[in-house]
Amino acid sequence: MDTLQYLSPAWAAEAQKRLREQLTPETMKFVTSSMLTVYHNCPDGKERALYYKIQDGVFQDVSVREGEMPEAEFIISGDYDTFAKISRAELGSRSALMGGKLRLKGNMVKALSLASIVDRLNKVLSTIECEY
Amino acid sequence: MTTNDPYFIDFPARIRAVQAEMARDGIDVYLGSRLRTLSWTSDAFCPWRSYIVIPADGLPTLYTFVIDAARVQDDSWLDEDHVLGFAPMGGQDQIDLIATKIAESLPGGRGRVGVEAGMSNYLPEGNLTHYEYQAFSAALPDAELVNALDIIDRVSVIKDAGTINRFREASRMVDVGHQAVWEALCSGNKTVSETEIAGLAAYAMRKAGSEWEWSFTGGNEIASGYRTGLAGGACTPASRRRTAPGEPLMVDLHAMFKLCLGDHSHNYLLAPATPRQRWHAQNFVDLVTLCLQTYRAGVSPSSLADEMMLFCEERGFAEYMVPGFEHGIGMLGDEWRIGRNDGPFPYWTNPDHIYQPNEMLICAIQYACPEENIGFRYENPILILPDGCEAMSKFSLAIEEV
Repeated sequence: MDTLQYLSPAWAAEAQKRLREQLTPETMKFVTSSMLTVYHNCPDGKERALYYKIQDGVFQDVSVREGEMPEAEFIISGDYDTFAKISRAELGSRSALMGGKLRLKGNMVKALSLASIVDRLNKVLSTIECEY
Repeated sequence: MTTNDPYFIDFPARIRAVQAEMARDGIDVYLGSRLRTLSWTSDAFCPWRSYIVIPADGLPTLYTFVIDAARVQDDSWLDEDHVLGFAPMGGQDQIDLIATKIAESLPGGRGRVGVEAGMSNYLPEGNLTHYEYQAFSAALPDAELVNALDIIDRVSVIKDAGTINRFREASRMVDVGHQAVWEALCSGNKTVSETEIAGLAAYAMRKAGSEWEWSFTGGNEIASGYRTGLAGGACTPASRRRTAPGEPLMVDLHAMFKLCLGDHSHNYLLAPATPRQRWHAQNFVDLVTLCLQTYRAGVSPSSLADEMMLFCEERGFAEYMVPGFEHGIGMLGDEWRIGRNDGPFPYWTNPDHIYQPNEMLICAIQYACPEENIGFRYENPILILPDGCEAMSKFSLAIEEV
């Protein structure tokens, strides 16, 4: 498989494919939620976001967004470099949040219950070979 | 809880009352941080640093430490979207989270934010700290932060039926604790430690449904011997001291029922008692009787104190008295100042506060004779009535020799 460009449409399609294959609804605790990860300072200077829509534990949508962003239950924002480090497993998402490198908007109590799911999600994404 | 429940409190109506006062005072958003405010608005026990943001209309949002937020929400009438947790994470720390909420609630991000500032004798009062004030000011550059704690104080002075009934139930639990202590003392074992007395009372009250021996003054306050007579003497966390025959014993118990507070002190003379001890005891019982007969709507702390101290003077024991006969009481966190912050000394009880029907306070009397190692305390939540008062704890008024 060719190396994909991180955050490209092809990368997002591969991400959705792997997430649906590897994270079953049981693994996802049949959760219904939505999450937007907003990337500031992308290499081309733009701002992009990765949108996840999960229905009853199934990834319905994993897509890269630009311009007007969709509503989401949780919004995590930070620099592109920070997300890239998380994707390369060089930085844990939890320590990025605790260190203030990422900002979370949404109900923290609900976020706590979803933390392990997000860890599993990030683990799957880190297996995609890509260029940053 | 239905409206027919004796302990029902209309919390949405409380919030609307606060919002009406906010409108009157030109406050766009109220940021509550005092324990009393959190209890009174949320109906939840908030032991961790917590805040409540009350917008000009609509539901308030409570913020507490994330580890306790789900439990607070479970206890509160507010739904999960209005009880949120904060944590040391980007975008989730209390200043960031709450400032964002406040800014969203202000028209154009501009306006007046009411905060709770001041000082208190009660350590867990929860006024906004200097750091918090500065941090919120910096995070809300277009807002003006003004002290508005009087809003909550004035709408919470008069107690509704549900609150009053909760206090009655908490007092019933305290009476169960006193009965347990009395039975233990009458069993013949008079050399127990103060901490044991505190514990056996706590066990009895917990069995009766009490949630907590709530007082920050050490839970159940037990004093024996010379500790009953310490000057001032109004705070006696139980020690490991063992009681002994011939000594006085002060048993001050605290129970909590749905955030309303039982607080009753009963006193004993452990036999054999001397005539001089009985003289002190009779002085005290007569004074408490007179005090309970005097409390009614229309009197003030100072007028009542004048009347009581005159009696003490006539009977020759004025020098043993703390010349104050009350402390405030409300839902958890509201336990020391009477009424509003409108007296000559800021944040202290206004001595000329005029009691109104359906106010509650603790009838509190402290008698201490350090040179004779003897003292007594009376505390009982009372409901002010037009022509008298209702003493909530029904345990018999006496200083028994056991």
